[in-house]
Amino acid sequence: MKATVSTEWLSGCSGCHVALVDLHEKLFGLLDDMEIVRSPVLVDQKTYPKANVGIVEGAVRSEHDLEALHKIRGSVDVLVAYGTCAVYGGPSGVGWLYRKDDVFDAVYERGPTNAGGERPDSGVPSLEESVRPIDEYVPVDLYLPGCPPHPFFVAAGLHNLLDSSKPGLTHRSVCADCNRKMQKRAGVQLVPAAVVGDDPDLCFLSQGIICLGSVSLNRCLAPCPKIGVACTGCAGPSLDVLTDPNRDTRTELAERMEKLCGIPRKDTVSYLEMNANTFFAYAMASPTIYKKPTVEIREWAGPSQAATS
Amino acid sequence: MVTIKVDDKACVGCTLCVDECPTDVFEFDEAKRLPVVTRPEMCFGCLSCSKICPADAIDHQGILISRNFYHDDYAVRLASRLGLSTPPELGVSAEAAEREKALEDLGIRLLSMASVLRQTLGAALPAVGRMAGTTLAAQLPRYQLPETFDQAIQVVRDGLNPAWIIGDTARQNGSLKVSVKGCFVRDLCRREHLDLGGDLCTLFGTYLLGYLGKVTKSRLKLVHTDRTWESCRYDLEVHT
Repeated sequence: MKATVSTEWLSGCSGCHVALVDLHEKLFGLLDDMEIVRSPVLVDQKTYPKANVGIVEGAVRSEHDLEALHKIRGSVDVLVAYGTCAVYGGPSGVGWLYRKDDVFDAVYERGPTNAGGERPDSGVPSLEESVRPIDEYVPVDLYLPGCPPHPFFVAAGLHNLLDSSKPGLTHRSVCADCNRKMQKRAGVQLVPAAVVGDDPDLCFLSQGIICLGSVSLNRCLAPCPKIGVACTGCAGPSLDVLTDPNRDTRTELAERMEKLCGIPRKDTVSYLEMNANTFFAYAMASPTIYKKPTVEIREWAGPSQAATS
Repeated sequence: MVTIKVDDKACVGCTLCVDECPTDVFEFDEAKRLPVVTRPEMCFGCLSCSKICPADAIDHQGILISRNFYHDDYAVRLASRLGLSTPPELGVSAEAAEREKALEDLGIRLLSMASVLRQTLGAALPAVGRMAGTTLAAQLPRYQLPETFDQAIQVVRDGLNPAWIIGDTARQNGSLKVSVKGCFVRDLCRREHLDLGGDLCTLFGTYLLGYLGKVTKSRLKLVHTDRTWESCRYDLEVHT
């Protein structure tokens, strides 16, 4: 008997659903074992039929998201949080920094393109107080972060799930798939606001450029550092950062840069704090990050900072 | 026995694990640009290598999963404020006022920790202390492992100084008397005007016993405790 799969799409960009279609020919192989009974981009199905596996993309931002999430949880046996938004809040998680009223003020009252100043109050679902990852509301069985997850990992995850064995995904970081050489070098300075280095074969950290590869989970096969752009950490924090309460993205990175090229720890830490909106962009709405005793993300990137910069 | 596996495909050859390991478990193979596990028997499971590894390519099996105290940034900062990071023989210490303030912070943290543990765990408080002591002793570097009972007592004496200064120990026919002369908990109680024998005393008393028991490889049963402002005495039954 074929396994049935149902997917749903909350506050996200649909990129994760596109990644599902990016399986190309592999999708046909998978369809021998599974049947997609509901999917906003593939199947014309508005209700929530019973299914074995539920795949949810996107964070919870509106009343509609919340209702859809509860409905799909009720209709499936195994729920997969699919993509960084569902797992950590993702890019839309930046809304977690602001109160609902501040968001409305900025968009509908002070927004330069919306001079009328009217808030929409009918025909659209109302917003929740904040943006949250889906496991804040319902139990989640499996997590597959990534922005979007590379089809390689989607296929590996689905294959393992359908064979009812454990998902064979590793906990390696992005560095594991990057082919740049990490080397100790003396006399390197921190290069602020750079994402491209001089040497195409040398690790960004060895060149003094902030790259989040070593603190991010590998769900992408490292395409950015391979073509010459520093990693922005789109698959969320690595296992080290997640499991140790006293370490976070900035302390881990500062320690490595200090040991590799002698850049003072304090410099890296304060640079990352000043640009927290960039370097914590994908996981700031997740309690695994903002509840760490070392992370004060609202202070670093919150409304008061936005007003001054 | 600890098994350490380095994922060759994932390794980026940065050599940080070789530098980081306190017991020199790794050697670096320059030709292959890979670390090689040459002395796995020296590993005591601090996970420093795994934490520093940029690719998260080092896996350990057969270790005690416990968070290592030196990963705690707050604790490290507090220790440096107390001037503990500089050896006392150098005669360098933090300024007296700063040291006082740091001691106060330490006291507040410890007292609140003990009361939180008491509130959440109740009668299990001694078990927590004992478990913590056992855990610490299990993380001793291998070359410190003592063979005889007297050596074990000496390891405890050295390891706990200056937090505790262990005085005389008397052992006969399965009973052991340990007197503790200097004790930071006692100093703390004196500073904060607290009675001896509170939650903090229970917690750290059992911590001491857990540590002692693990190092001496014996089961210790607490029979009697005698606490005074000069020294405390623990009467123990020893089951080996």
